[in-house]
Amino acid sequence: MIGRVPWWTVIVVGVLAVCWVVPVLGIVLTSIRPPADVALGWWRLDNIRFTLDAWQRVWVEYPLAESFFYTALLAALATLGTMLLTPAAAYAFHFLKFRSRRLLLIIIINAFVLPQQVVVIPLFTLWRDMKLIDNPLAVLIPYVGMSFAWSIFLVKNFLEDFPKELIEAAKIDGCGPIKTLQHVVLPNATSPIFAVGVLQFLWSWNALLLPMLYLRSMVPLPVLLTKVSGTYEMNWDLRSVAAIVTTIVPLIVFVVFQRQFAAGSQTRTGAKE
Amino acid sequence: MASVTLSNVSKSYGAFEVIDNLNLTVDDGAFTVFVGPSGCGKSTLLRMIAGLEPITKGDLVIDGRRVNDADPIERGVAMVFQNYALYPHMTVEQNIGFSLRMAGLGKPDIEARVVAAAQTLQIEPLLKRKPAQLSGGQRQRVAIGRAIVRDPEVFLFDEPLSNLDAELRVSMRVEIAKLHNKLGSTMIYVTHDQTEAMTLADKIVVMRDGKIAQSGTPDELYDNPDNLFVAGFIGSPRMNFLRAELTQGSLKLAAGPTLSAAGLPDAGEALVGLRPENFVLDGGDASLVVKVDVVENLGGTRYLYGTTGSGEALVVEVRDRAGIKAGDNVQVGINAARSMVFAASGQRVRPGH
Repeated sequence: MIGRVPWWTVIVVGVLAVCWVVPVLGIVLTSIRPPADVALGWWRLDNIRFTLDAWQRVWVEYPLAESFFYTALLAALATLGTMLLTPAAAYAFHFLKFRSRRLLLIIIINAFVLPQQVVVIPLFTLWRDMKLIDNPLAVLIPYVGMSFAWSIFLVKNFLEDFPKELIEAAKIDGCGPIKTLQHVVLPNATSPIFAVGVLQFLWSWNALLLPMLYLRSMVPLPVLLTKVSGTYEMNWDLRSVAAIVTTIVPLIVFVVFQRQFAAGSQTRTGAKE
Repeated sequence: MASVTLSNVSKSYGAFEVIDNLNLTVDDGAFTVFVGPSGCGKSTLLRMIAGLEPITKGDLVIDGRRVNDADPIERGVAMVFQNYALYPHMTVEQNIGFSLRMAGLGKPDIEARVVAAAQTLQIEPLLKRKPAQLSGGQRQRVAIGRAIVRDPEVFLFDEPLSNLDAELRVSMRVEIAKLHNKLGSTMIYVTHDQTEAMTLADKIVVMRDGKIAQSGTPDELYDNPDNLFVAGFIGSPRMNFLRAELTQGSLKLAAGPTLSAAGLPDAGEALVGLRPENFVLDGGDASLVVKVDVVENLGGTRYLYGTTGSGEALVVEVRDRAGIKAGDNVQVGINAARSMVFAASGQRVRPGH
């Protein structure tokens, strides 16, 4: 039947789903069983007891709530920065003409090939000299700056299909570049901007390397996660709780906004289709 | 309202000349149509007037002011695009009022003018809708509304009807003509459709390869074309061209008859242009035999598509219903007074030249 998926797709997708779900299930179970019962594996059924002990202790023993707040703050600011600046840059690169536009674009997109590890040390010395270590800006600037490589690329690609007549109509109607961006381009480019926002949020939320190196007093969740394991104890139960807390927000964000990824770049211009 | 003057205007992309040293005056309040085959530069010319394409050389003067470097809004032009270019996220009302909002007008002011424009175009009931909920004809009206609401000096239309179906195209054509009568503004209209040009224009500018082939009123171009290109472009069905020899005041057609061409200078090999209606079934100054291939019946008139004895295609308009069928050989008379002679170069051969 046309439009029906072949039977083997269901099996392949099912197997993949199980592969992803089993570890998550393991974390959840570990978090609600006493450590002694799961020492040999969370799937063991020798002793079945449940406890919320770890869920209560972790907040007291580690600054999980505080970290949650910092993570949310940093991810939100980084996402906002990218969502505001990327469309403007993509618009300028796509529709405006200025000197060495092409060269500039190539340089920015090429940041794509630079792994984060390469910039870590030069950035560290720079922040140290600028007294920005332990300042949120020390991570926000690279979060946003390094996101341009892929985000501008993504939004600019969307603008390739953006009807040129709309830009011209706006020009005829008396819009300069900024007003054209604000009134005509942005309202019709929400899907790529949200897609960029969701991706940037996920990456900033999960970032480990930069905050670990540049921040001292603010400890975001992924960094905290590395510290939950004690020196003598493995703390599997506490780590599980922290892991769940760390994962849950990106998961919710992704589920809520996943439609933005599927959304294509169809902008209805009112032109005859 | 304003006149538009182009003097020595050129446009080139690198070494490629699109518009070549063009001079033209569009009169105040006139409906001027740029017509020509695709790629002739007519749209580029319009976009240069609109301020969407920079002018490489020459001067563009609107209402006595040189506006080469002015923004579209400062030129006082409004434009209607071929594919409407309505803002998809705005309602009809917001679309029409957008330019006024950008100009910083107050809300009540904008509303009054939008409603007035909507009334003119009879789209008042649509004001709250989005473009996606409109039909093609309605979208075109909104696009026109967006232009008239600004009360511009000059209206520019870039093939506004070519996305509409045939029936709608005819009715919108009439509406645009009415709109021009009502507003009396200067309008410049680009089309590749000579029927639109003939029916709408006060003045037609026929363009070819970035140059003006000829400009004038529809009747001037129809009755008195300067060259083969204009003669063939204006008029539907096309003018017939028959091979001939022009020597010593007589025109010997390859198809047989000889016409008198008193006063015309010798041109040797030439083409005689005869419109389908320049033939008669009885009489005429000379006659030739046409083998009819197809008869096209339009009710009031019929067109005979045939071949002359010399193998040249010929279209003849017939008014009466004399039972002519495909395959018949018909003798048709030529109304020689209406014939035009073109030299091999394509230029019209006129008396005394």
